[in-house]
Amino acid sequence: MVKKKEFIIFFLLFLLAIFIIYIYRDVTKAKNEIFDRIENYQIEQISSVLKNIEKDMVTSFDIKTPDDLISLFSDIDTRKKYEHIISLLLTSNVKYAYILHKDEKDRFRFLLDASQSDKAEFYQKFDVTSPEYEAIYKEKKPQLIKQHDVENLYLTYLYPILSNGNVVGIFSIDITTNIQKIILESIKPLETFFTVLIIFILLLMGMTITQIFHYFVTRKKIFTDPLTKTFNRNYLEEIAPMLNLKHYSLAMLDLDKFKAINDSYGHKAGDYILFRASMIFKESIRENDILIRYGGEEFILLINNRNNDNTNTDICERLRNNISNEIFKYDGNDIKIKVSIGIHKHPALEKNLQEAIKIADEMLYIAKKSGRNRVIIYDEKEHTKTSSSASSKDISYVKEALDEDRVICHFQPIYNHKNGEIFKYEALVRIVSKENIIISPMQFLPQLKHTNMHYKLTQRILLIIFEKFKYNQKTVSININFSDLINPDIEETIIKHLSENHHLASRITFEILESDEIDNVELFKQKINLLHSLKAKVSIDDFGSGYSNFRTIIDVEANFLKIDGSLIKNIDKNNKDFKVVKSIIHFASQSNMQTIAEFVHSKEVYEKLLLLDIDYMQGFYISEPKAFLVEKEELFK
Amino acid sequence: MKAVSIILFLTIALFASDNKDIMRAQILEKIILNISINETITVWSDNKELLAGFRKSNHLIISDICDKATVIIIENKKELNDDTCKNKPIFVLNYNLLKEVPKSFGAFFWKKGRPNIVIIESRIKSQNISVSKELNAYIEEKVW
Repeated sequence: MVKKKEFIIFFLLFLLAIFIIYIYRDVTKAKNEIFDRIENYQIEQISSVLKNIEKDMVTSFDIKTPDDLISLFSDIDTRKKYEHIISLLLTSNVKYAYILHKDEKDRFRFLLDASQSDKAEFYQKFDVTSPEYEAIYKEKKPQLIKQHDVENLYLTYLYPILSNGNVVGIFSIDITTNIQKIILESIKPLETFFTVLIIFILLLMGMTITQIFHYFVTRKKIFTDPLTKTFNRNYLEEIAPMLNLKHYSLAMLDLDKFKAINDSYGHKAGDYILFRASMIFKESIRENDILIRYGGEEFILLINNRNNDNTNTDICERLRNNISNEIFKYDGNDIKIKVSIGIHKHPALEKNLQEAIKIADEMLYIAKKSGRNRVIIYDEKEHTKTSSSASSKDISYVKEALDEDRVICHFQPIYNHKNGEIFKYEALVRIVSKENIIISPMQFLPQLKHTNMHYKLTQRILLIIFEKFKYNQKTVSININFSDLINPDIEETIIKHLSENHHLASRITFEILESDEIDNVELFKQKINLLHSLKAKVSIDDFGSGYSNFRTIIDVEANFLKIDGSLIKNIDKNNKDFKVVKSIIHFASQSNMQTIAEFVHSKEVYEKLLLLDIDYMQGFYISEPKAFLVEKEELFK
Repeated sequence: MKAVSIILFLTIALFASDNKDIMRAQILEKIILNISINETITVWSDNKELLAGFRKSNHLIISDICDKATVIIIENKKELNDDTCKNKPIFVLNYNLLKEVPKSFGAFFWKKGRPNIVIIESRIKSQNISVSKELNAYIEEKVW
């Protein structure tokens, strides 16, 4: 969690910066205090000396008026005497010391100048601008001028020469910037240190802000689907731990027959439809609802139901109608599309978000199965809750694998022991994990049962197989559920690929699980007939494992009967199994079906089966499933 | 950081010193513009920076040679060799030059860090120089 860490660092830096600025302010304050103290001390010293000189001057020469003072200093000897006395005040800090007098025209004139440099003449005019020169005459109190514009001067101290309460002249002492420079120089390293520290902290704060900014920019990219500009699955994963499902209903949305659009008008048209449809979705929902592109043409909608529990259905219906009423215009074509929606009204009742998604997906599956373009709502009261052994990640895991093309097929040869040839291959689904590990179907298939994802997976497998076997002479078996078989999209895919290619169709066998719940026998027969009409073959898979409706088996006129592995694996040891298998073979033979024994895992099983009139065998003893089509030379190794 | 401080200090120092020259040129320009003599004022100075400053503002007519000038501003008495020039109205840049150059009618100088202007009443009268009211505050009876 870089973000949290960065925010904390930024906050700490901010506190540190405030602390440093506070210290810096204190240092500056201290500097001013030092200035003031030194200044006061110096002024005090000067003031005491000037007071003594003033006293001596006024009393010794009986100075009563300014004219008395002028006449006193008109005398060059007296002037020199006092210049000498006053010059004792001159130090490296006190640069100029002189006596001024204001004449009748209010001009200031030098009466005496004790300075060592830039000495003025007696009675020379001195242009001054500071108001303190006037103020001293009014207030009759010493004045302090902080110099800003006078070169090398820091302060000018004006001390009145008083006689009978009147100002007759002014002592003017110019103090240089030396003392200030010394203090500044001694304090400078400390100030520089703080300045560098503040700059450094500000830089760090800047860097942290930049990083946080970049994080938000990247975060937006990571969590936004580039095509539809809706959130993507990463966002769902990010918010899942913080999401309070009590405030949301969860809907799964899937555009109907979207594949047909891609196939008929091209992928660009498909992308355009997706973009436009997502715009309509966004326009149909509220600001506090969350729309996520879950993958392909599938979306998840988290409907905020804090204020009204029934809004979810209204929103979904509105959304469905809006899509249904829209005519998408692309490249001169008017395209109509519909959407099927499965809703879980109270996802908080589930163990976690993934479970809720799975249920919404099941509702979507029902919506599709019931003719599409409809909203199906999950009513938890009518559904018995069964704790699923499914890992909560499974449905997303498969979805992600489909999106990232990590669904593959392995092929296990079915061996004809009579002529020593490979009769055909059974295609078996696998997922390649992100770490390049082959994941077996046992780990993900059970969880997909009765979900929309299941037939998406089946559809993908069909496409992989049709593509792989289109141009070779090999024969292949595909496992398919009854529920898959009656799915309109799957049916469409099968018809599309096999009706135009009888050569391919004749080499395809659909292995239908005998254990699958065939609730509508008539429909089942109808679908098998369709496969026959396409010249494809039909095999009853796992025969002997579930309830065996021999009548149905005979009626569907399957080409093959695959005997369930549970009857084969111990056939060398279990005489009862041997007898059952023998009966099945007899039944198949009578019903004009060829037999296949699976789970041939050892030499003993293989040899035992040779005693029976079984047609074909498959199992690890002959060859394990491989990512490629093994040749007969590779068998029994 | 230290380098930055040094550069900053030098820039300010340079700026300050420039400012002082500029300020002097501006004050002198104002003084000259506030006096009138019988002929058009053409200024010559031994201080080249000052002349450059006048040229920049373009308010005064400048001459590169003393002979052609009608008002002379000098900083150094030695530069005043030519007799013709000695008799022209002279403005000095040092208070003491007022004593040394009898034709000098006024001075601009820095006293204890402060700018000071002095115009000697008797000398402006003798040279038929009239000054505007603005300069009245600086008129002195004599050189002290």
